[in-house]
Amino acid sequence: MTKQRQSAKKRRGILGGLALTAILFSLYWSLVIAPPDAYQGEVQRIMYLHLPSILIAYLSYFLVFIGSGLYLWKREKRDDILAYAAAELGVLFTALTIVEGSIWGRPTWGVWWTWDARLTLTAILLLIYVGYLMLRSLIEDENRAAVAAAVLGIIGFLDIPLIHMSVYWWRTLHQPPSILRPDKLPWENVHPSMLTALTISFVAFLLLYFYLLSLRYRVGEMRQEIKALRLERGI
Amino acid sequence: MGGWGFVAAAYGIVWGVIVVYLFTLKRRYNQAAAECDQLGPSEAAAGDEKK
Repeated sequence: MTKQRQSAKKRRGILGGLALTAILFSLYWSLVIAPPDAYQGEVQRIMYLHLPSILIAYLSYFLVFIGSGLYLWKREKRDDILAYAAAELGVLFTALTIVEGSIWGRPTWGVWWTWDARLTLTAILLLIYVGYLMLRSLIEDENRAAVAAAVLGIIGFLDIPLIHMSVYWWRTLHQPPSILRPDKLPWENVHPSMLTALTISFVAFLLLYFYLLSLRYRVGEMRQEIKALRLERGI
Repeated sequence: MGGWGFVAAAYGIVWGVIVVYLFTLKRRYNQAAAECDQLGPSEAAAGDEKK
């Protein structure tokens, strides 16, 4: 193993340790320190998972967008590896967001699922990137698969502004944003104890995300190395 | 199911899925690393290291 690889592995280990510490701290804050909501009661604690999950999914799709754009422009394999890794993690966090929302919706709205604009657009987002992953495995020619996936990765990202604005544009059951809203600052809208829990949880998810992304990116890099080595040795 | 029941279900599913994904990813990582080691360094990389 080269020195560069060893130091990358060490850095990844430190990131993993930080993520684990932040996760434990966020669980303690979300489940013990933060007070229950005056209207929703304990169920509101699901928001400390729900909001960070969707923000991480958005970040992931933004990286897919950037990686795909750069790949189409420069055709450098590392950009495609980044887009592929981020898409896989985006699908994971979007699916988790939908599950968390459904579990929260049952006691709050009285239903597990409703065809509300925001929910439907989020389900479409998930399907687009599941399609992205399927494209990668169904097209045999790796370069063609990368180009097709890059185009889909860019188009799919356009769904995110629609999801964010859906609560303003259509009459929906989903409430408007509490944090990312144009008319109010987060601390004007959310109690400081809850905002702290949310911030800690977001930091924990962010650290976990970058740990998973670095690991997944390395898997993608090694696959390329294996392919090149096999070609070199005629295997 | 009470409020805490829904909270337990959500936290259990989310962290359970993340742990399973992490273990799967680690296995993929170890498999790829083992295959890389088995194939050895590429001629270009070996040349670079000698330099």
